[in-house]
Amino acid sequence: MVVETKSAKNILEPLAWLLQLITGTILVFLVTIHFYLTHMTSHDALRYEFVVERLSTSPYTAMYAILILTVTFHAFNGLRAIILDTEFGAKYRRVINMLIFLAFLSAFAYGIYLLATIP
Amino acid sequence: MVKVEFRIRRFDGERSYWESYELEAKRGMTVLEALFHIKENLDGSLAFRASCRMGICGSCAVKINDKPRLACETQILAIGKSLIKIEPLDNFRILKDLVTDFEGFFAKHKKVKPYLIRDVSYSNPVELLQSPRELDRYYIYTLCIKCGACYSVCPAAATRESYLGPAAMTAAYRFCADSRDRGKRKRIPILSEDGGVWRCHLAMECSEVCPKGVEPAKAVQMMRRSTAIEMIRSLFRRSR
Repeated sequence: MVVETKSAKNILEPLAWLLQLITGTILVFLVTIHFYLTHMTSHDALRYEFVVERLSTSPYTAMYAILILTVTFHAFNGLRAIILDTEFGAKYRRVINMLIFLAFLSAFAYGIYLLATIP
Repeated sequence: MVKVEFRIRRFDGERSYWESYELEAKRGMTVLEALFHIKENLDGSLAFRASCRMGICGSCAVKINDKPRLACETQILAIGKSLIKIEPLDNFRILKDLVTDFEGFFAKHKKVKPYLIRDVSYSNPVELLQSPRELDRYYIYTLCIKCGACYSVCPAAATRESYLGPAAMTAAYRFCADSRDRGKRKRIPILSEDGGVWRCHLAMECSEVCPKGVEPAKAVQMMRRSTAIEMIRSLFRRSR
């Protein structure tokens, strides 16, 4: 049991760093696509009915689901790194890791809920 | 001869204040020579650290006009200003005037095991062969003189006392990249700790100010990559 805890503690930071790199790279593409769709295809692209129409097609829904996942992970993991850079973060590292993970899950779940329930 | 004002940040153990001294600087005169001149002729109470006077020992690193430099390698006229501000290095506890406490800095350096770790018996020594190419992989990192300039500008070191800092991690990389060394697996758990490689955010100021051109930022990134690979590999080893 002790070994498992130690293993998880050791692996968290390298995994978080690698996933930050991966999500950052994915975000470059997805955010570019998002901006292209919303600002460069048509002047009406941001009108409610067009947004609904776009999100009712599965490829767009899948793309936005991935965008929500990557953006929430990247943002909250970045926030975690900033907090852990302080003495306060060092002292409450475990609590901060848990709170940030919960915040990430909540934001992701809320984003997916909105995506799924849009008329 | 040019008249130059030296504004020095003093600290007497209780209060911090600026004190100015004027002296005639001649061509080739270094900031360290000016500090010695001030101490010997103007104010004997001025405290600073110096030893080799030739950029090897790293003792005389101070902030000169807001940038960490070696006082012995900085010529006054080359700065090109009539006012020269001298302060102790940031991110270190000040003991007196320009003298800072390096105990923690050296403890961190020691922590990363900055020496060759071998898996051979020393009772039966063998020649350690190394090609010029293998030497090139780490040579630049051997030039570190532990002056603390990199540590003093590191934003991560400013906010986290337990952060190992660029100099210690550069030393770790210097030995991990050495083909004669077998201590990588002993150093990686130390570097992977919370105050290790993960706290670096690549501000790259360490490489910018290094008086020996060591590039600690690159060493930290290389170390971070090897640490990540090794830690993920270890996960698969444990699960087997």
